Amino acid sequence: MTKYGRQLGIGPTDNTSNERTPRNKLNLIPEAARTSFVPYAPRAHSINLAEADMTRIAPGRPRASGEAIKVSGKLMDEYGRPIRNALIEIWNANQHGGYTHDEDHSGLPIDQNFLGIGRTLSSSDGNYEFWTIKPGAYLARPDIGRWRPPHIHVSIIGGSSRLISQMYFPNDPHNAKDPMRILMGDSFEANIGKKYIVTDGDFDCGYNFDIIIGGKNPTFFENNIT
Amino acid sequence: MTYSNKEINRLTPTNEDTVGPYYPPSLCENNNSLDMTNIRSGIVFKPLGEKITIKGCVKDIDGKLSNGCLLEFWQPNSQGFYYRPDTESHEMVDPWFTGYARHRTKDGNFSLTTIKPGVADGRAPNITVTLFSDGIMRLVTQLFFADEKSNSDDPLLLSIPEELRERLMINKVAHNEYEIEIIMAGNNETPFFDDLLS
Repeated sequence: MTKYGRQLGIGPTDNTSNERTPRNKLNLIPEAARTSFVPYAPRAHSINLAEADMTRIAPGRPRASGEAIKVSGKLMDEYGRPIRNALIEIWNANQHGGYTHDEDHSGLPIDQNFLGIGRTLSSSDGNYEFWTIKPGAYLARPDIGRWRPPHIHVSIIGGSSRLISQMYFPNDPHNAKDPMRILMGDSFEANIGKKYIVTDGDFDCGYNFDIIIGGKNPTFFENNIT
Repeated sequence: MTYSNKEINRLTPTNEDTVGPYYPPSLCENNNSLDMTNIRSGIVFKPLGEKITIKGCVKDIDGKLSNGCLLEFWQPNSQGFYYRPDTESHEMVDPWFTGYARHRTKDGNFSLTTIKPGVADGRAPNITVTLFSDGIMRLVTQLFFADEKSNSDDPLLLSIPEELRERLMINKVAHNEYEIEIIMAGNNETPFFDDLLS
């Protein structure tokens, strides 16, 4: 007998979401198969420390234009336990809203000093920090005037932890109509970076973004071993 | 609907969000190749088992190929053992096979070279797939091999209606060559599973 989980929502005004969102409810995983749904990514990550600084393409190169910001926080499971040594991948648009991806055909200006792709590892306490340029908003649906608010994409792979999400910015006027933000409802708060003052270095400000990975997967093996 | 735990004294999870259209392909390991049989190139050691190729695609509600999807695969070795922290020193683990690979498909097609998975823990041979795409949150499912007798006893297949089971079947098309279509929405939609509420 089938047991059902979540019904995924379709993002309003998002054509791709309409084309790609499953119409059936997700199925719950029976206990006898649960462990097999915990992929374990091998730790093959070799990271150059400079990859956490997205404000320059390489050390010593000119700084990218726009507001330089720090983004930092702690990676945890639902119980507040740190997720250590996880690979954190970051990608975001430049100050004009343009990506360096060769499939971005928006025609928005590209900054020769901004790659918009970075990586770092969480520390033994689960903490992380990266530097980037505050991304601009861009017009996602010119036909109806709907924008994508400024956002930073994050991808976490750490042992059995997996999350792809986005950090949004507080009080941005475009937040309200974003399709995925609408689906999140009140819990959107969890995806907003909290602004803080940065006194060291030449930064506009910082944003604190604690990342909590839900469900049983994040520390599945730790829980079962000890 | 988003996921939230209902228990007090737990932290509110960060919402999953769409990967969007611009996941950087360069972030995937091994130059984006989707070959689990060659985790350490240029050496004589190879994983044990039957080397197979699975040609697949991801389609949307209109039957169009879905560009820009990020795909992740996870499976046990030919003897049915997963390479995990709790098994890594076990003699049945194949040191030349981690069972994990990921890849961003530009056009919606993919070709996975791997070892046919063995029978693990009372399960029929299967491959776990995690799928990220623009417009949706993370999706997970498992794919099975149509010609395996053990499918009839698999607890995951038995947990879904019989008429949906064939949608999770990888079909053999030639010696060591298989095919699968993953359909994200609509007619013949692939069954997906909920690993946050399960």
